[in-house]
Amino acid sequence: MTGNVTVTPQTFHFVSFDAALIQRVTESLVSALGLGEHPVVIEVDETTPLARVSVDIGETITIRVESGALEDTRKPRMQSEQATATTIGRVLLRARDRLVGGFGEAPADVDLSLAQIAAWEVYCVGRLERLGIKVNQQRWRYNFRNRHGFSDDADASFDRLWASDSLTWGEFSALGAAAP
Amino acid sequence: MRTFFPVEDLARDDRFNQITMRDRMGDARSVLTSGEAAGKRNNNRLTPSRKDASDAARGLMHGIFVGEIQALEGAGRTCFDFETGTEAPFALKLDMARQAWDEARHVEISIMLSNWMGTEIGQYAENTVLFEAACSSDPVLRLAGVNRALEGLAIDVFTTMKEFGDLAGDPYLEFCEDWMLADEVTHVKMGSDWLRRLTEHDPERRKKALEFQGVVDKLFSYGGTRSDSEESPIGLARRFRELAGFSDVEVEDIAAVSREALDERKAAVARMQAAATLAGA
Repeated sequence: MTGNVTVTPQTFHFVSFDAALIQRVTESLVSALGLGEHPVVIEVDETTPLARVSVDIGETITIRVESGALEDTRKPRMQSEQATATTIGRVLLRARDRLVGGFGEAPADVDLSLAQIAAWEVYCVGRLERLGIKVNQQRWRYNFRNRHGFSDDADASFDRLWASDSLTWGEFSALGAAAP
Repeated sequence: MRTFFPVEDLARDDRFNQITMRDRMGDARSVLTSGEAAGKRNNNRLTPSRKDASDAARGLMHGIFVGEIQALEGAGRTCFDFETGTEAPFALKLDMARQAWDEARHVEISIMLSNWMGTEIGQYAENTVLFEAACSSDPVLRLAGVNRALEGLAIDVFTTMKEFGDLAGDPYLEFCEDWMLADEVTHVKMGSDWLRRLTEHDPERRKKALEFQGVVDKLFSYGGTRSDSEESPIGLARRFRELAGFSDVEVEDIAAVSREALDERKAAVARMQAAATLAGA
């Protein structure tokens, strides 16, 4: 079942984005992740080139995303389908982890440390790759190293997180990846 | 082989997408104004404590990479575009050849660092403004625009990246940036020395060169990307600039020009955002 996906704005003035593409990519992800029972609202802030993303999880999953997170870095102000899938996919996976994936006791997003955020990103992006979305593993490894140290131990944690599919928050923390 | 090569004809494969300064400045979005609507002063300095630190560092590293390619092309052109003796002394050309060799090495280092950081070649748009500054028909203006303004910016950028690598504990980034920084200081010093020697008896030519440097410095401030303000991702590396032969007065001038570029960019973005908002209403 595919949930109801709404994208705002429908027309962009600062960037050349396509609301229909965002909707299509999101619907595909919602279906693949089994989140069809939740309406999803995507609010794009096109006034900033930054790439921050936040999510409110309730009956409706509301994702607020800055334009840089959906942009083709090769062609400024143009949209990248790959970036759109990776960004929305990461957030939907985090939402699914909290809703049904054993992350119920995880701190609220605003209370997560940069190290915890980096670890959760790795756990999400590894699963996105296995869903068939093209990602650059080294990008996420570099981010993980920046937060967890440039060491063999950090790399081993990264590899375990990347390969994992159904961790609970307790298991995630036990991997040593959730240390602040 | 042709002389005075136009920027449009630079050799690039299809991995690269080139943009101009006009394209960049036409973007109504800006990190410089993103917090001001909420009454907050922005701190955009590139440090590991920024949430987007890794991606921001990757983007800047790619900017360094394409800058190194263009610096190599510029120094190489200066070796070839001018007649030895009458237009440019042989020793100047030898320095430019040495610089081209350094830049080639920097390109290779930048590619390896980009791989290390998870960035593909051409993953970010290439701004060609750097090479454009190397197209002057007067070698003295090239020295002012490229060696003093562009390589001066490189000192600021490498210092910021070196500090980033140091704080993040990234041994390769810190080490590589430190070595490239040392080369950039030498390049700026070469530019300062040759500018003085070639214009020793020609104050008008020196004045013109320094004016050109001022224009390029403002352009290379990238509309506020580099300044003393914490709002700018890249700071002004005063100590290394001093080592490279900039006087205190010159550094203060660059700081003022950079601050001016930051304020102008913020005002331009505010105007463009107001226009875009009106268009969407």
